Amino acid sequence: MKQRAGYLFMAPVALFLLVGFATPIFIVGWYSLIEPRTFELTSDLTLANYRAAFTEGYGGPFYWSILGAFATVATCALLAWPTAKMLHARAGRGAAIVTGLIAVPIFVSESVRLFGLSLFLMPGGGILAGSLKALFGVSIGTVLNTKIAVWLGLVYVHFPFMLFPLLLGVALIPQDRIDAARDLGASRWQVLREIELPLALPGLAIGALLTFVLCIGANAEAAILGGQAVTVVTRAIEQRFSYAQDWPMGAALTMLVTLVTALVVFPVLSRIDLNRLIRR
Amino acid sequence: MIAAEPQMTGTPADTTPALSLQRLSRHFGATRALRDVSLDIAEGEFFTIVGPSGSGKTTLLRILAGLDRPTSGALLLRGQDVTLQPPNKRPTAMVFQSLALFDHRSVGQNVEFALKMRGVGAEARKTRALELLELVRLGADYYGRPVTQCSGGERQRVALARALASDPEILFFDEPLSALDYRLRKTLEVELRGLQRRTGRTFVYITHSLEEAMVMSDRIGIMKDGALVQVGTPSQIYDRPRDRFVARFMGEVNILEIRDGRLVELDTPLPGRADGYLVLRPEALSPTESGLPIRCTVLERFQLGSRVQLHLDTPAGLMIAEQPASCTLQAGDEATFSFDPDAAHRVSE
Repeated sequence: MKQRAGYLFMAPVALFLLVGFATPIFIVGWYSLIEPRTFELTSDLTLANYRAAFTEGYGGPFYWSILGAFATVATCALLAWPTAKMLHARAGRGAAIVTGLIAVPIFVSESVRLFGLSLFLMPGGGILAGSLKALFGVSIGTVLNTKIAVWLGLVYVHFPFMLFPLLLGVALIPQDRIDAARDLGASRWQVLREIELPLALPGLAIGALLTFVLCIGANAEAAILGGQAVTVVTRAIEQRFSYAQDWPMGAALTMLVTLVTALVVFPVLSRIDLNRLIRR
Repeated sequence: MIAAEPQMTGTPADTTPALSLQRLSRHFGATRALRDVSLDIAEGEFFTIVGPSGSGKTTLLRILAGLDRPTSGALLLRGQDVTLQPPNKRPTAMVFQSLALFDHRSVGQNVEFALKMRGVGAEARKTRALELLELVRLGADYYGRPVTQCSGGERQRVALARALASDPEILFFDEPLSALDYRLRKTLEVELRGLQRRTGRTFVYITHSLEEAMVMSDRIGIMKDGALVQVGTPSQIYDRPRDRFVARFMGEVNILEIRDGRLVELDTPLPGRADGYLVLRPEALSPTESGLPIRCTVLERFQLGSRVQLHLDTPAGLMIAEQPASCTLQAGDEATFSFDPDAAHRVSE
């Protein structure tokens, strides 16, 4: 008789998640409910930190983080779709090499890549500005230390996380469905909307969720490329925990970010059929 | 609309062919999948292209539907050159071998697809879809069902209804029945033929099954290695095949070589016939001595319903005869079979 993997097989990861995820979340949740600027876990619980989160100017950091995440998801999706279609249609050695090249930057430290990008975007002698000046005599102002630079950095860092799930998604579209739709009178745009996007949706959704979650938690892009242009919520949280020594406030902001993430992730996740993506 | 006006398909009033294929060729690298195929298909005709796998029939159909472009040659649709026209601009529709149903949509949405693409409103689409579901004998309660919950035969009908939705002038079929069981296939063959007569539309059908082709077609084209080797009515092709390939393709056959006025294998004189091959259908051999006799031993006897098939060991090797089931010959019996050499069809290659 074939023996199925029992619950015991779940034990290692369950233990790890309990110690590494559930417990910290519980502690952070607790901290978020104690008096501001205290460390008294035994004091009375209060919602003061959450009230402060909505009244004391944390709206900006939240707004920029969420907007940045959505903008990055949209940009990455627009860039990754044609790339995935092309790589799928021309599967073979060439496509494998291109896929590899897209993956390689993941192996380089993110900060190193972002400092590289900042060299590129620097005003005056930066690679972009300098080249434009030397070749075309066009002077541009600075791109570095703007919101545009943060957006470029987010897209650059997170593109592979959109592309690879989308490659799986695009592989779920059988060519004969596209042929049939064309034959039945669909224009290329209609084929995209009616056939390709719905069929590739599991891949697209996974890619979008990965990108979104990573972007909400991203910090380095704003710090290295954005200068003072924008404060993201992770930066605000970090400041609460470090300089401000206001752990309860930092904990409340953390819980709110977690909540926003959950509100985006769970509805999407419940609608996609993961089994289809892994062809089960 | 399609079912409204029944019309007969006998003689098309218009002499412009529904489709005119002019020296169509398609090369894939060094492979010549299609070689100089020329053919006219008449309005309202049920034309079947038959050939073994790899003979280029699917390539040809994809070019006719606009899903592929020929390397050279032209395709006229009612006299209009459509060679480079994309598939969504052509008044044709195809039923795919895989059916290519949209599994993420309901039966109704599948059937309505072509109408939606043309901007037909939801109400009109639904009315038409219900009409089509009726036409393919599914009925209105299938409308909201997911296609994934349909059986093989039902999916087949959905695909057919979907192709009919835009009232196409020409329908293409790429072996749509090949995955179904025998009984269902037989039923659908008859229904398809009936539908074609009722609608008066031009059907171009591809199959590797000769039987299917014989049942349904007005004319048959036989393909081999990317070329069209013979075109004719089913009986023309069965009775008067152009060469041994066609003869063999059209079912069981005995082939005897004629060289210098003699039947080579039987070592018998056969004056008055040019060199080539005699094509003898199994039913042309009878256990009498009325024609040219062949001494033989019965090797096997197979019951085929109302008829029996006999495998005979003859001086020319294995030959196949078919007789009514009343034939008493059994395996192991000695017998003399004969055929009428003057009535036998001769091919030169």
